[in-house]
Amino acid sequence: MRETSRLDKFKQLLAGPNTDLDELRKLSWSGIPKSVRPMTWKLLSGYLPANVDRRPATLQRKQKEYFAFIEHYYNSRNDEAHQDTYRQIHIDIPRMSPEALILQPKVTEIFERILFIWAIRHPASGYVQGINDLVTPFFVVFICEYIDQEDVDGVDVSSVPAEVLRNIEADTYWCMSKLLDGIQDNYTFAQPGIQMKVKMLEELVSRIDERVHRHLDGHEVRYLQFAFRWMNNLLMRELPLRCTIRLWDTYQSEPEGFSHFHLYVCAAFLVRWRRQILEERDFQELLLFLQNLPTAHWDDQDVSLLLAEAYRLKFAFADAPNHYKK
Amino acid sequence: MAKQYDVLFRLLLIGDSGVGKTCLLCRFTDNEFHSSHISTIGVDFKMKTIEVDGIKVRIQIWDTAGQERYQTITKQYYRRAQGIFLVYDISSERSYQHIMKWVSDVDEYAPEGVQKILIGNKADEEQKRQVGREQGQQLAKEYGMDFYETSACTNLNIKESFTRLTELVLQAHRKELDGLRTRAGNELALAELEEEEGKPEGPANSSKTCWC
Repeated sequence: MRETSRLDKFKQLLAGPNTDLDELRKLSWSGIPKSVRPMTWKLLSGYLPANVDRRPATLQRKQKEYFAFIEHYYNSRNDEAHQDTYRQIHIDIPRMSPEALILQPKVTEIFERILFIWAIRHPASGYVQGINDLVTPFFVVFICEYIDQEDVDGVDVSSVPAEVLRNIEADTYWCMSKLLDGIQDNYTFAQPGIQMKVKMLEELVSRIDERVHRHLDGHEVRYLQFAFRWMNNLLMRELPLRCTIRLWDTYQSEPEGFSHFHLYVCAAFLVRWRRQILEERDFQELLLFLQNLPTAHWDDQDVSLLLAEAYRLKFAFADAPNHYKK
Repeated sequence: MAKQYDVLFRLLLIGDSGVGKTCLLCRFTDNEFHSSHISTIGVDFKMKTIEVDGIKVRIQIWDTAGQERYQTITKQYYRRAQGIFLVYDISSERSYQHIMKWVSDVDEYAPEGVQKILIGNKADEEQKRQVGREQGQQLAKEYGMDFYETSACTNLNIKESFTRLTELVLQAHRKELDGLRTRAGNELALAELEEEEGKPEGPANSSKTCWC
């Protein structure tokens, strides 16, 4: 069966002795089987080395390093210099989704520590709402190595030993840090990365679907009004968690997946709703629709179609000069 | 076809993160309450049509993220607001202290003549109260604002405060409204008014009839 042979290929690549990362990216682009996803994500994100023999030592070293950060920084969370950061994290986490996962006290604490440590170590941006969402996919993927749970929204960590949970926390921290390294200007003062990407999205859509673009423009809908969140939260607020995980298989296989390729995914995502958009003839209905897109039933298939379209757009429009536009 | 509304307003909710802005709004527009509402990113949008003094008013409500980092984005929405809710949480002294900062942002970025009211939310959390009712009243008086203690949870003063701000905006635009009344039934005039109202930002601010 095709799926079995794909899984075998993954296993073969991961077994080493040196994983060919280019091959792994190619294979991962169209989705990673669940059983090999934790290891594959750790490799694709650059957290673990391609050489199999070096992996255990690297893991141990990085985990130790993270625990040292906690020792060093976490007690300062109520100091005057850091209390605003901690307070914001502390009020945001219980407001995340999926609630059933986040509200488990052990999970809440893990997220608080990860985010606080990251914020303290990245003072240029500090903690910005939305960064919290980016912890979830890593945490859920890594924990699913230890629990058998089909539905990612209903993960229960109570059966996971404390020691394992600690290591997952460290792995999550490092993988999230790697991701954020590539999009930090989304979260620095005035959020220049987001402002620029929203402008680029507008420019891109005007070239790929002029009618949709003119329709939005004609009804005074501004891209910033709906696409700000698409950039700030990498579409996580618009898609179910299982779809985000599938999306990230590809983002981690693409060069600059979370920054550059994400733009094309956003463009494909917007145009995906062209029929409904063109039917709405009122600013308010348009904006309500765009801020509440009906994706609750989406599955891997929908994400794969979206990604295929984004890939096509990337090639058709990437560095194409503006002569596409009349 | 009966027209859906006579006039259209833009209201804005501002205040510290976690004071309950989104909860106020959801209670008002959908009569729903969730204690752990997902945090707002950037600016969210809702609308509702209410009737005040026989006038059907459609209100567009912009719900902003409270975290400071978002203010470059959220301030862009001040300019087109006709009414602003300044919200603090009665169980957070800090959010009350920050109202001063929010007021100065309004002074700087919102149009002159914008109507404001002060809201002390989470009034149901009496045992956690850090800000006295009279403190809220005092502050509102200093700034010349109306004041309500509200609870999205128990549905206290939600409709009242939204209606009040709407009335204030209507009063502030009485001149334009009188024009509207005398031309009542004249769809074209109404449409023109709406059209005028919906124009993009720009030098149109100087126009006396423009509500932007």
